[in-house]
Amino acid sequence: MKREIVGKRAIRVDGHSKVLGKAEYPQDIQKQSMYHGKTLRSKKPHAYFKLNIDKAKNLKGVIAILTAKDVPYNHHGVLFKDHEIFCTNKVRRVGDPIAFVVAENEKIAKQAVEFIEIEYDEIPGVFDPIKAMEQSAPIVHKESNILYHYKIRKGNIENAFKQCEVIVENEYRTGMVDHAFLQPESGIAYMDENTVVVCASSQYPHFDQIEIAEALNIPTENVRVINPAIGGAFGGREDITLQIHIALATKLVGKPVKTTYSREESFLAHGKRHSMIMKYKTGANRQGKLVAMEANIIGDTGAYASWAPNVLRKAGVHATGPYEIPNVKVDSYAVYTNNPFAGAMRGFGAAQGPIAYEQQIDEIGRKLSIDPITIRKINGFKVGSETATGQILEASVPYIQCIESVGKALGLEQKEGIR
Amino acid sequence: MKKKGVGIGSTFYGTGYGNGFPDVSRAKAVLKEDGKVAVHVGATEVGQGSKTIMSQMAAEVMSIPLNDIIFICEDTKNMPDSGTAAASRQTYNTGNAIKLACEDLRKKVIENAFKELKLNSSVGLTLKNGEIYLKTLPSKNISLKELALCLLKNKELPLIGEGSFTAQTIEMDEETGQGAPYWPYTFNVYGVIVEVDTETGLIDIIKAVCAQDVGKAINPEMIEGQMDGGFAMGLGYSIYEDLGLKEGKMKNKNFTNYLIPTALDVPELEKFIIEDPESTGPFGAKGIGEPVMLGVAPAVLNAIYDAVGVRITQVPVTPDRLLRALKEERRE
Repeated sequence: MKREIVGKRAIRVDGHSKVLGKAEYPQDIQKQSMYHGKTLRSKKPHAYFKLNIDKAKNLKGVIAILTAKDVPYNHHGVLFKDHEIFCTNKVRRVGDPIAFVVAENEKIAKQAVEFIEIEYDEIPGVFDPIKAMEQSAPIVHKESNILYHYKIRKGNIENAFKQCEVIVENEYRTGMVDHAFLQPESGIAYMDENTVVVCASSQYPHFDQIEIAEALNIPTENVRVINPAIGGAFGGREDITLQIHIALATKLVGKPVKTTYSREESFLAHGKRHSMIMKYKTGANRQGKLVAMEANIIGDTGAYASWAPNVLRKAGVHATGPYEIPNVKVDSYAVYTNNPFAGAMRGFGAAQGPIAYEQQIDEIGRKLSIDPITIRKINGFKVGSETATGQILEASVPYIQCIESVGKALGLEQKEGIR
Repeated sequence: MKKKGVGIGSTFYGTGYGNGFPDVSRAKAVLKEDGKVAVHVGATEVGQGSKTIMSQMAAEVMSIPLNDIIFICEDTKNMPDSGTAAASRQTYNTGNAIKLACEDLRKKVIENAFKELKLNSSVGLTLKNGEIYLKTLPSKNISLKELALCLLKNKELPLIGEGSFTAQTIEMDEETGQGAPYWPYTFNVYGVIVEVDTETGLIDIIKAVCAQDVGKAINPEMIEGQMDGGFAMGLGYSIYEDLGLKEGKMKNKNFTNYLIPTALDVPELEKFIIEDPESTGPFGAKGIGEPVMLGVAPAVLNAIYDAVGVRITQVPVTPDRLLRALKEERRE
């Protein structure tokens, strides 16, 4: 069917304002007689603490200092409410928010944060997810550090591996990374009669609205979230950061309150991509057809759960790569440590696996003297293929077409030149 | 010594929240008194281009110019919940909701037009280029603008179309992991040629190729932009980005030492948009926001192996890590 607009190279509707610097980002918003906020964050990865705000409170120009006792419901989180808005007496990671200073200007707010006296009583932390899974490991929350386990059991891998011509085994590791979006977090909150208005960049304003209302213990309809222009997100703006802090502050002091993170604070405030340790065993027959695969994947979610179960589930579902494999065993785990917390980031658990499964298939091909394009064409998904979870790919499966396009552009098609 | 190598990275990605979790998008399309159409939707524009491609979808259904779509997605006060801008779900999920909302509005526009035109039926009436007319007698027509004015006079504005779309997702069995967790799946393949300096451990990307399955391209320019961005982010993941994490502390938390690729590190990317429409997608489209970065790291790693014959099993492949691996290989 002929389309008039769909399929056309239309110019970005928000492009002009962004190129000309006219788009309004949260940091651009100014309100008359607004106050500035600054967050005190933990410098220790695992510790109990005591706080003394007296000296900071008496600093000229300080309006208020918010701590755990100022929060009606001191919990938030996208899946489990395991984050405290301000830590009560224990920190679980470097960067955990402890207090929020509201002052006449940014300079005073910063100074007051330094005047807050904090006494840490450090306790042993755990930073290696494999160690965190052991019974004797320091516990980050309550009970076990293992927060989620996903399993695939398809076919019979023991029998299948016995029939393989080649088997490749390896362990792969990926580190935590930051979204590094252009615009560090910034936000301003103010009262509009009974309504708390929060302007801050978010990937999901309706969810922020719910979390702000819960923390402040006010009806959802009394919270309005305005999402100005957003300088990138990549998953890093799914977990709430400063929104509740400024909402609490404006409700308490009655005037607009604004805060803007530096790049360093941005790194401390939002989640990271899960680091993963991935043990793979992959087997194929003489023709290069994959027969069996076993994967053990451990994802480090750091101090908080955020989306970890969903991320490690996605990692497990995608563990085979885009290949038909009749016998599959996958175990993926999400584990708490005292590292920075991990959450949503572009790929959401499907970004780490390719580093393993794509090297595995190249190795299989190399051992059988089959080139990388051919080995992928032998095993790649096509219409009618069944995934490791038993799902039928019934339409729109142009994997082979993608492989052929790349192979051709690189001059690899039908050649056996590369290892 | 500088050594060249070629590598492939191929991936798939399942769209949406998954595993049976209700994945719902809602949209509202409103005819304004000037004949323009306002789309109210809770789909956040994070830079990925949702505002543009979703306006294109609305303009297509309403058959009006792109400029006549007013896209409202910034304020919880005046937009329905369309879920999060994540999981590469907005094009597919919210795109479908917008298409449904606009189709609903289009139907209502035609119903109202036949009354204004004093016809005895809406059969054969169509809406094209901002005009509602009878296909067999085009002189029987009224513009969207005129119709909006009539409705305003009769106090029948606003005219509202509504749409809601729920993706199909089925919870997996707890013991076997069997089920249909995501839909649709999107495919992505990268190929790269690298040059590895075996003395410094530095890696240069000489050439890069991306083939991206899109279902149907709503806006090819924006897809190409996503590919460029995805490649750069994937490259950072492969060889640069390192938080320097020790005992829970990040050493590298600003751009002085947390290195992300600059324009000089990124070669011209050869791009292939692969169209194979997804029947349940709006106009056949699928989401590509995440898929475009997934194949980069494995392609780079496989190319490094092709160049120097060493399997690097850990990212990022910093010069340090690469030189250590080369040294170990020589020792063996």
